[in-house]
Amino acid sequence: MAADIAADFAIEMIGITKRFGPLTANRDVSFAVRKGEIHALVGENGAGKTTLMNVLFGMHLPDSGQIKVNGAQVEITSPQVAIGLGLGMVHQHFKLVPSLTVAENIFLGMEIVRGGLIDSASQVAAVRALSASSGLAVDPTRVVRDLSVGSEQRVEILKVLARGARIVILDEPTAVLTPQEGRDLFRTLRGFTDQGMTVILISHHLDEVLEVSDTVTVLRDGAVIGTEPAKGLTEARLAQMMVGRPVDFGRKRRDGTAGAPVLTLTRVHARDDRGLPALMDVSLTVHAGEIVAIAGVDGNGQTELAEVVAGLRAPSYGSMNLNGRDIAGAPADIVRGAGLAHVPADRLVRGVDVQASIMSNILMGRQDSPAFSKGGMIRWGRVRAEAAALIKRFDIRTQGPDAPVKSLSGGNMQKVVLAREFSQGKQFLLIDQPTRGVDIGATEGIHDEIMRRRAEGVAILLISVQLDECMKLADRLLVMFQGCLVAELDPKTVTVNEIGLHMMGASHNRKASA
Amino acid sequence: MTDIPLARPERHVPVWAQGLIGQMLALLIALAGGAVIIWLVGESPLHVYEVLLRGALGSAENVAGSLLQATPIIVCGVAACVALRGGLFNIGVEGQLYVGGFAAAWVGFTLNLPAGLHVVVGLGAGMLAGALWIILPAIMRARFNANEVVSTILMNYVAVLLTSYLTIAVFKRPGGWSETAPIAQTAYLPQLMDGSRVNLGLIIGLALALGLYLFLRYTGAGYAVSTMGSNPKFAAYGGVRVKRNIVAVLMTSGAIGGLAGGIETLGVHRRFMEGFAPGFGFDGVIAALLANGNPLGVVVAALFFGALRKGSLLMEVETGASREIITVIQALIILCVSAQILIRRRGGISGEKRWKF
Amino acid sequence: MEILTQVFTISLIAAILRTTAPILLVALGGAFTTKAGIFNIGLEGQMLMGAFFGVLGSMWTGSALGGLVFGVTASVLMAVIFSVFVVTLRANEVVVGLALNIMAGGLTISLTKAIFGVRGSIVNPAIVGMPRIHVPLIHDIRPLGQILSGYTPLVYTAFALVFLVWVILFRTRLGLYIRVTGEKPEAAQSLGIRTARMQHIASLICGVLAGAAGVHLSLGYIVMFAENMSSGRGFMAVAVLIFSGGDPVKVLLGCLLFGFADAASLRLQTMGVSSYLVLMVPFVVSVSALFLLSWRQRPKIIRETLQHLTAPVVAKGQGS
Repeated sequence: MAADIAADFAIEMIGITKRFGPLTANRDVSFAVRKGEIHALVGENGAGKTTLMNVLFGMHLPDSGQIKVNGAQVEITSPQVAIGLGLGMVHQHFKLVPSLTVAENIFLGMEIVRGGLIDSASQVAAVRALSASSGLAVDPTRVVRDLSVGSEQRVEILKVLARGARIVILDEPTAVLTPQEGRDLFRTLRGFTDQGMTVILISHHLDEVLEVSDTVTVLRDGAVIGTEPAKGLTEARLAQMMVGRPVDFGRKRRDGTAGAPVLTLTRVHARDDRGLPALMDVSLTVHAGEIVAIAGVDGNGQTELAEVVAGLRAPSYGSMNLNGRDIAGAPADIVRGAGLAHVPADRLVRGVDVQASIMSNILMGRQDSPAFSKGGMIRWGRVRAEAAALIKRFDIRTQGPDAPVKSLSGGNMQKVVLAREFSQGKQFLLIDQPTRGVDIGATEGIHDEIMRRRAEGVAILLISVQLDECMKLADRLLVMFQGCLVAELDPKTVTVNEIGLHMMGASHNRKASA
Repeated sequence: MTDIPLARPERHVPVWAQGLIGQMLALLIALAGGAVIIWLVGESPLHVYEVLLRGALGSAENVAGSLLQATPIIVCGVAACVALRGGLFNIGVEGQLYVGGFAAAWVGFTLNLPAGLHVVVGLGAGMLAGALWIILPAIMRARFNANEVVSTILMNYVAVLLTSYLTIAVFKRPGGWSETAPIAQTAYLPQLMDGSRVNLGLIIGLALALGLYLFLRYTGAGYAVSTMGSNPKFAAYGGVRVKRNIVAVLMTSGAIGGLAGGIETLGVHRRFMEGFAPGFGFDGVIAALLANGNPLGVVVAALFFGALRKGSLLMEVETGASREIITVIQALIILCVSAQILIRRRGGISGEKRWKF
Repeated sequence: MEILTQVFTISLIAAILRTTAPILLVALGGAFTTKAGIFNIGLEGQMLMGAFFGVLGSMWTGSALGGLVFGVTASVLMAVIFSVFVVTLRANEVVVGLALNIMAGGLTISLTKAIFGVRGSIVNPAIVGMPRIHVPLIHDIRPLGQILSGYTPLVYTAFALVFLVWVILFRTRLGLYIRVTGEKPEAAQSLGIRTARMQHIASLICGVLAGAAGVHLSLGYIVMFAENMSSGRGFMAVAVLIFSGGDPVKVLLGCLLFGFADAASLRLQTMGVSSYLVLMVPFVVSVSALFLLSWRQRPKIIRETLQHLTAPVVAKGQGS
């Protein structure tokens, strides 16, 4: 009987345990995927999804447990072994080489070589054929640097198919796509399963999980909570399985009206590092006690907008005013002096110094302020007291103010950033991707903290690629596309579909052609 | 797995002690490696090390000699340390030492000033020359990201050749051989004791090291510099003016390098001679690396290197080994240290690799 | 008179090709490490070791080829130490490179004293220099022969390598893997390319060429060894590598510039300019070139004017 049922499964992982030092990332996880299905693996950040898939793909060796592929027990010791077994993985962060062409990227590691030299003509022809048969349209001769994010993802999938994968694992594939692009992707994936292939989808977008998958497995704290058919599951039930308690998905209730303008941008333009236009004619106002959210697909000028507002990039044109002070082109210390607090998108790059202690990180930006310095000398006693107070107030899990930031988890690092920026009593908050890489429980806490600042009358500009976050928090919702603000929407009435159309530039194109 | 804590649980050995143990271990391995090389050139390692030790510390006179050798290394070490803590490499300390030494000597033999003031103006000229010598690499690094490692190294060669040219073609002492006229007595840097040329420069060096330590630890500006050194993007985000600080840090570093040259010419040689201070600048850079950027550690490392240099003079007399064997040992020390200590400074979880183009 | 100027320029061209060869060899070696993502400041020391052991090997074996083998072996050994520390032990490239340069300087001087009992330089009739190749037919054609014939084999090799290195880097699997290792190591690793191995290989190739460059210094046109005789050429090569990005054709152009500076400064010397100033020329040229090219690659600061605003879009959507 066992053999009979086993034959139906593409993947069986039985009793997998994986530890990293004192931390158990996977605890006795059993996970089975039927042939020809789309199986979603969901869970919070840190629940162990990625570790489990890395074990399956041979990037980690499990401490115990066994793996069967198509019913046969296997030992997957490296990604090469996994590829040999017909597995393929599309990573969340693309692993493409920008200076190479699409064909070179797809054939990287398995080049067609003739007479010692790489036969690029044959490679291009092979990619054309594969592209046609899979329905993933790409130009094999284009250089990857010039591709859109959606095309890059197609190249990644083609890479996997070119290696003969019959079982495809996708890690958070829609994180960088518009809802419409996401739907196209899902159609392609359905096409794969129709051809008898198997798809494993790692995601924390509950709606798309329910929409696209046949079966859902939920992980929490490294263990399997349950495996159920997607039919009959609801978002609320899924969320409860993931978090272990009911979660509030509704819009935050709010009252109070917006006050005076705090930040005003008028016809702001900016260029990116390569000198290409990145922001075009951006005008917006953020009032006291209001949250203005910028929605959009990653890479449509949000980074540059945040940098321009924070004084880290000079605008090429336009005027900017914060609390009555002209801040166009002013350096960060001046903008901060005018009332800016800033939660940056990538905390590891900009938000913290991982090598330094928590208290040293808490000090940043205030090393010359009278509160913490006297005659040019830092009052470390006061800094330590402040850090201790903030650790308590923001519930930062750590050994104390002297602990290096690198000893903290991602969520707690983000809390260090929030603690520093939220506690300074500034009138304007620039918040960029506040919950990226933060688990659902901590996300709620961060959202509550943001709403508290709003209630205190702080003007907030929120930049997020997570639509649900924008809709949950915003008083006004602006959509960014190719460096332009293309729509201003009311988050109370707008639908996801409508925002999605704007994110793809539908309104923009209509105007341009009109 | 973004939420795995990235550090292992704290061991009970404090961080500084771990660093010290590592450094000592590196030293031992390097000395063992040095022994192999000494054996290869046909000498007895034990004998050579014994002579080195005796030459460095065998008598009060030798200890004074070691201190004399250590003085410019301390100052150059502090110079390199300033840059290192700001996240920059000033490999051009050697060149700044040369131009600073020449400028100070020039003030010494050209101007007529009262004692005391003459020394101050001389050292000031040395610092100015050192700072100006690095100004172009500094500005190009700050504004256009021109690699300062290569530019400062290349400037070393120019500095050595230029000062040689000035010494021999322009300011040569009549009848002398590749040296300038002696400086006026008013420009002599005071000596600390009779019978040795150990001078005020030693005190200046120690004061600079202590000052740098306090500056980095207790001042807002020092905080800004060291944060810039460990994560420049974080510093910029927090309002530190990174470009301005890069120029300031490198010019300070250059000025201290120039000061080292001034101390050598006004305190020891009392004239400028071609090749007056070979390798002190590089020794300073190595001392700063060995100390992992800790200014007080620089003093210890520099004293050690000074003793090695002094000892090597006797070694060359009593054994067949060349005195350059000590530079091989120094290089081995740095190699061992780099393998185990500096890896923690590099990369980190932000994954940024500084030296890539 | 006309003939004189012609001979003058022709011999200058020949001098340029001669002086370009060593820096071109070492820079082409560095092209591999550069493309593999390693900042190799240790070229100077590798060259110096090549020069010293080239002389030693030449004396011991009595042939220039023996010298080449010895010199290259010594340089490769340095390259192995470099890549073990930098790639395997993940130490800082600048620190390791610096340490190895210092070690090479100290070691060659110490060994000179240990073996020859002298300081400074090794001049010995037993050192066999590189032969000159007289290209048949062309050699006797007046201007052409002077430009194209009569060099040591390493000069021809250096220029031929420009093309060969280009083919290896851009047309072979090894080159592709080395480039990917430098540009996007995580992509390479995810496809099973061993990036550490690629960096070791790149460093090894670099060691071979840097050693050959060193041997050219001590057995090419001057047959002797002098302390620190690489005299900064390795660092100049690093400067070339920074602004060429390791692209062989750009490397050639950069090296020709230094070859020209070198050759022209030798000319200046014969015209009575102080040798100190003359020796400065190549360093000034390389540091200026480094500055100039980083200035050219600077991030552009652009200010728009009202008339030339990029694609003005007034789109305050109504949310319909």
